[in-house]
Amino acid sequence: MARVMVTLRLDPSQASVPEVLGLLGLAPDEVDPGFGVVPISPAERLYTILVDETAATRIADAPQVEGVFGNPRIEGFGPEAEG
Amino acid sequence: MRVLVQFRSSPEVHAATLRGEAMPSFAATTEAPIPGLVIDPAFIPVQVPTPQAAEPGASPYLYSPAVSFSLAPERATYLVRGTLPDDPEGQRAALTEATARPEVVGVFADPAIATCLVCPGDPAAGTDQDVAGLLGVPALAEAGMDGYRVPVAVVDTGINLAHLESKGRDPKFSTRRSWAPAGVATKPGRHPVGHGTMCAYDIGIAAPKATLVDLAVLLSSTPGETAMSGLLSDAVLAYSRLLGIVSGMAAARRSLVVSNSWGMFDPAWDFPVGHPGNYSDNPAHPFNVIVASLEAAGADILFAAGNCGRDCPDGRCRFGAARPICGANSHPSVLSVAGVDTSKHRVGYSSQGPGRLDPAKPDLSAYTHFRGSDVYPADGGTSAACPVAAGVVAAVREQYPASVLSPAELRALLAKTAEDLGGTGFDHDFGWGVVDGRALAAALAGVNRSRRR
Repeated sequence: MARVMVTLRLDPSQASVPEVLGLLGLAPDEVDPGFGVVPISPAERLYTILVDETAATRIADAPQVEGVFGNPRIEGFGPEAEG
Repeated sequence: MRVLVQFRSSPEVHAATLRGEAMPSFAATTEAPIPGLVIDPAFIPVQVPTPQAAEPGASPYLYSPAVSFSLAPERATYLVRGTLPDDPEGQRAALTEATARPEVVGVFADPAIATCLVCPGDPAAGTDQDVAGLLGVPALAEAGMDGYRVPVAVVDTGINLAHLESKGRDPKFSTRRSWAPAGVATKPGRHPVGHGTMCAYDIGIAAPKATLVDLAVLLSSTPGETAMSGLLSDAVLAYSRLLGIVSGMAAARRSLVVSNSWGMFDPAWDFPVGHPGNYSDNPAHPFNVIVASLEAAGADILFAAGNCGRDCPDGRCRFGAARPICGANSHPSVLSVAGVDTSKHRVGYSSQGPGRLDPAKPDLSAYTHFRGSDVYPADGGTSAACPVAAGVVAAVREQYPASVLSPAELRALLAKTAEDLGGTGFDHDFGWGVVDGRALAAALAGVNRSRRR
């Protein structure tokens, strides 16, 4: 299943996968544990997690959720032949 | 509007042309000036041979069967150069008057022409040594700017140090700060020779003593169609590490340059514009947020503008008429780098602005499509232009950390000192022009020395 990024506003003490699972009622297999809870703007207390698309829809209205965002493919701007 | 006007011959015209005289004497042969038509006095009239049809009644302009040409004075015509008003009314009036004159054969467009632009697959033009000269690397080095101890993160397909060494480069390398996504089998600095190694080589043109940091995001094992693709979430993880690195530096010595020669080729990879989860046009997307956050912490972030220029886009481009400089490549907190060849012509594949997040993109241009790393026949694409510019930024940072010259101030200085190309001032092909290390070094000499590192 495709995974999307979910931006969360958290207290730094809540910025761990177990804490986020509890806060948002997510099952462990709905979150990418390797990705973790990634700080994207410490000053704003913003973090992002990688979540299954259906789970993201379920938690979209939670107070900690700032938005659900795509995870598009990216590619090097190098010679075509290499690809 | 520039035009060529074809006049019939007269003895006076023919004599003037033979004498190589310009328009003043030639203009005197017309009945009276044509209102709205301004003749270029510097343009010496050019005699045009008149085609003669092989058979009576046939068109002489079909050129088949073969036609002959006459240069006889009574048959030849003469071209002069001029301009017509740009407003449609004035233009129509001038054309009507001109074509009614018996001495005028016709009025024709005189479009701007240019050398053929470099396109994907074209052979290299010049070498990395030529690029060093054009950049003004000796002037930077003379001012003590060669990137010594400045970390430069290469967010790409990974670096192969052995290849760099085989090409005469001897960069410092930080294994501790390097990273690769989970599942990547090769080690930092030992990844397969490819796109990232080319970028690392090109950083060394202006910053041979910079410390390379290898972030092999595009080697991600996440699903992708090609060998050098990943997902944006991989880049989020890499940037999170960079945020930790730069935040851990003493404020007075903070410097980190981040070179990104990647982006999206196809809007179908993203949510549509207007969708709340969209990346390309959405400053709230987590990657765009972390880019702003990293720049605010003191990092210089450079992104390639992309290879979807209108003249000869990369075959993977699927933007059509939509603006191709999107997402972080168009972020107001980054330097978006377009590509020019060593003749200072825009390479035909270099993406043009406006950008999606910030319309004033690309910011500036740097050199590309030259023979350098020998990873490819040419170090090409805006992929090469970006690390070339990143090397200049790293060279500067050796003497001027972010506490002295903020990333925004350095971007402004790079724009101010760039050699203007294309239209006067900023334009969406070249940005503010091509990066000029000589002018940059001269401008930096005015910065209070006590403020330096």
